[in-house]
Amino acid sequence: MVKPFNELRKRLLRAGVAPRHVRRYLAELDDHLADLRAEEVRAGLSREEAVAAAIVRLGTLDELTNAMIGQLRLRSWTARAPWAIFGLAPLFVLALTRLAAFFILWTGWQIFLPAADTPFGNIHVSGLGNLYFQLGRAIYFGGPFFIGWGISALAARQRLRAIWPVVGLALIACIAGSSYVQASRTAVPGGFGHIRVGLALAPSVNGISDSLIHAVVIFSLTVLPYLIWRWHEAHSLSA
Amino acid sequence: MTSRESNPNFMNGVPELLILRLLNVQEMYGYEIVQDIRSRTGSVIAVGEGVVYPVLHALERDGAIRSRRKAINGRSRIYYAVTPAGTRRLADLSETWANLTAAIQTILTGGRHGEAVQ
Repeated sequence: MVKPFNELRKRLLRAGVAPRHVRRYLAELDDHLADLRAEEVRAGLSREEAVAAAIVRLGTLDELTNAMIGQLRLRSWTARAPWAIFGLAPLFVLALTRLAAFFILWTGWQIFLPAADTPFGNIHVSGLGNLYFQLGRAIYFGGPFFIGWGISALAARQRLRAIWPVVGLALIACIAGSSYVQASRTAVPGGFGHIRVGLALAPSVNGISDSLIHAVVIFSLTVLPYLIWRWHEAHSLSA
Repeated sequence: MTSRESNPNFMNGVPELLILRLLNVQEMYGYEIVQDIRSRTGSVIAVGEGVVYPVLHALERDGAIRSRRKAINGRSRIYYAVTPAGTRRLADLSETWANLTAAIQTILTGGRHGEAVQ
């Protein structure tokens, strides 16, 4: 019975049924099948006949699929509002990671480089200060990749069509790749300094800008594992 | 899976009613519910037994029933029981069903709804 349940699982996930409901449904069907099999054996059937009778009583693949898909309340948010899950939510998470990185940058600047006009450039910071700034850099540069891989994992887990996940990955790559940060002291002596954030994706006069390359790198490295997974999935289905 | 005879129109709200009615008496797990329906209706209601679970999940999501895991004879089963909201829903569904069957019965016996049928 494992094979039909695997097919049922794929169908339900593709239809947008929430994974937790799919998991529980399959577990309950498995239990139910065991009960039916035992009942048929008690009724005098051989083991093989009992299995066949139990499968018939449990319902056809179409019946079991349609019964679950028909319950619209059991659909996942990725199926109900893919634009929110793959569009808005990743942007929100990206904004949070950027805020965290900027906070580390600004506090590190105040604590470890109180005399410097900017935390960037050829300034030597060692020990704890260096670790602190590296943490900020890791969050700033690593955040988009982890968010992208998260999108891919979610899409793969729910066997979704590629369109929304790819749109989400492109969006994250564009925003993350094109954003830049500047930090400088204000004109007021002893001022706290300020951090300026902006977006710039357009090619520069001398050719393709760094930001565009950055965006392409993020997109490629996040979309590639997803595409490989889809390719593998398609080939395992056709095999 | 092989094809089998079933009556798909059964699914229009009736499973909810039957399940809530059974669970209103005692908590049960899926297999028990199906077997109880089967024995009480003399197997007149025939659907794939597995289709009971989506209805149970939806009822639970609506707050009409609640579930809990219970280990019986070394096997872990999910038992369902009606909540107060489910009891109210059962009352509503029962009333709707009673009105519906009365109306259909009236048509079948050639009268008009609301008239006394001899």
